[in-house]
Amino acid sequence: MIWLAWRQHRKQLLFTLLGFVLLAAVMIPIGVAMRSTFADLGLPACVRDLARADVAPATVEACEAGFRRFTNRYGALNLVAVLLVMLPMLVGLFWGAPLVAREVEQGTHRFAWTQGISRRRWVLVKFGLAGAVVLTAAVGYGLGMSWWVDPLTRAAHEGRLGYIVFDLQGIVPIGYTLFAVALGIFAGTLWRRMLPAMAITLVGYVGVRAAVAVLARPHYQPARTLTFPVTGTGEPIGDRGNWILSSGVRNPDGQMVVSDTRMQCPPGALGPTGRGCGAELGVEPGAYNWQLYQPAGRFWLFQGIEAGIFVLLALVLVYVAVRAIRRIA
Amino acid sequence: MDVVLEADQLGKRYGKTWALRDCSLRLPAGRIAALVGPNGAGKSTLLHLAVGLLRPDAGAVRVFGGSPYNNTESLADIGFVAQDTPLFRDFTAAELVTAGEKLNRRWDGALARNRLAQLGVPPDKPVGKLSGGQRAQVALALALAKRPRLLLLDEPVASLDPLARREFLQSLMGSVADAGTTVLLSSHLLADLERVCDYLIVLNAARVQLVGTVDEIVAGHRQLIGPRHDGGPLGGVAAVVRASHTDRQSTLLVRTDGPITDPSWTVREVSLEDLILAYLADGDTTASHTEWGVPA
Repeated sequence: MIWLAWRQHRKQLLFTLLGFVLLAAVMIPIGVAMRSTFADLGLPACVRDLARADVAPATVEACEAGFRRFTNRYGALNLVAVLLVMLPMLVGLFWGAPLVAREVEQGTHRFAWTQGISRRRWVLVKFGLAGAVVLTAAVGYGLGMSWWVDPLTRAAHEGRLGYIVFDLQGIVPIGYTLFAVALGIFAGTLWRRMLPAMAITLVGYVGVRAAVAVLARPHYQPARTLTFPVTGTGEPIGDRGNWILSSGVRNPDGQMVVSDTRMQCPPGALGPTGRGCGAELGVEPGAYNWQLYQPAGRFWLFQGIEAGIFVLLALVLVYVAVRAIRRIA
Repeated sequence: MDVVLEADQLGKRYGKTWALRDCSLRLPAGRIAALVGPNGAGKSTLLHLAVGLLRPDAGAVRVFGGSPYNNTESLADIGFVAQDTPLFRDFTAAELVTAGEKLNRRWDGALARNRLAQLGVPPDKPVGKLSGGQRAQVALALALAKRPRLLLLDEPVASLDPLARREFLQSLMGSVADAGTTVLLSSHLLADLERVCDYLIVLNAARVQLVGTVDEIVAGHRQLIGPRHDGGPLGGVAAVVRASHTDRQSTLLVRTDGPITDPSWTVREVSLEDLILAYLADGDTTASHTEWGVPA
């Protein structure tokens, strides 16, 4: 059976490898260039300095300028990152959806299942082999992306917890890939046609991923709040890399005046009309900035939770598919 | 007499529709049996139940005394060629023989290779690029290489041209005659089966209409032509299968249970083909008329 599975899927495996090699050939030079620029601008020292509590305001300013320069040069790569987020879905489309659907569509399951081996063994070898291949690919992809996207995340204020970059690195790509492949197998087993199975995989993957990222991820842990006065100097210390869920300016009574922004006025500064800072917007004296955020230190915890959710979903889908295979004739 | 395949009140349902119902039959060892019926009569369903691809919803099917569903032991004794002879299209014939070797404990690869060499099937061409006849031969060679005691073929010749059809059936007969393999072969092409089969199962509308050896069946039916008949009992007639009437004359196809002595009837033998057609024409179309909203 292993020979059969290998013979059936070797071309697919070759194309997958080829795709990876091509991707690496494009991404590695970019990654190397990005890192050398990062080092040339002295940004690794900045990352260290900004994490300290007693950082001098001048250093902060110089570092922020450096980060801006870096982002200006490489910020467009965030678009590339968006495309890379779709890679696990492609694996699901081309490895998961056809795995059972193609056999049933061409009727070859009737050949394979009427030889001397049980359907259970067929499922085990076929799913196992496909699973091993995509798992290896996903681990490689996760490690490679962690390395590649690292300078971009360090330069960005929201750090690794932000959308897109969180999805690209660490262990979540493994969860996503397994989920995409399981979804493909599930759809292919229930609909038994390749094209509908691929369509369902596509829609299902995007839907579930978006729903989890937007609805569930911000609540894996109770978010923390940070407040600091509108009147004052300098940014709050040590909030680099925090994932800010929502922010705004609140009056002393707690009422939100302006949302999705932050405000800083030097002491004694006046607005354009000569009144107090921000008075045109309704900001009263004593108003403060308010932030709801997930601290940067929770990165691996969040990675673990998210990867766990998708691995669990994948297991459920594969289980349902295996049950459904018993009813195919 | 050994019974190879036995069905007892066997039924299979897809949703609310029964694809096969109350199917009881026994296929004795060594027979070449034809499974005849129009499209959708339940032929494939019966074969899939027999090979263990499907699980019965009612009754039981036994092959060599055991239930074939999810049973690799009985699977080893069954050679199966599914409808449209599905094979991995990008495999070469030689690779398919290797695949069979990997998937079966008992496997006669030499038999398959010899057969295919004799038939002139190229070993290194993807089977998807072979002609329909050659592909069917590859599928048959793979099924025979299992050295099965029961060979199930689902419409093996339906997609072949008349010449390829004849060659296929000839080579099939040649190889099973010596081994004493029992064969169950479904088809809606009657003329082909008449030449090769000695046992007959007629399915129509999910039910078994007729089972038995060809000789018994032919001997047990007669065509009667005589004065217009009003449906009363006739001496020596067990059942009227089909009747057609003109103003003064009736033509009846009957199953007999004794000699027909009434001198007003002209008694003729019936060909197997006419007989099968008479059984198949007996379908119920009332439901269809209702669905279409036209008077029956």
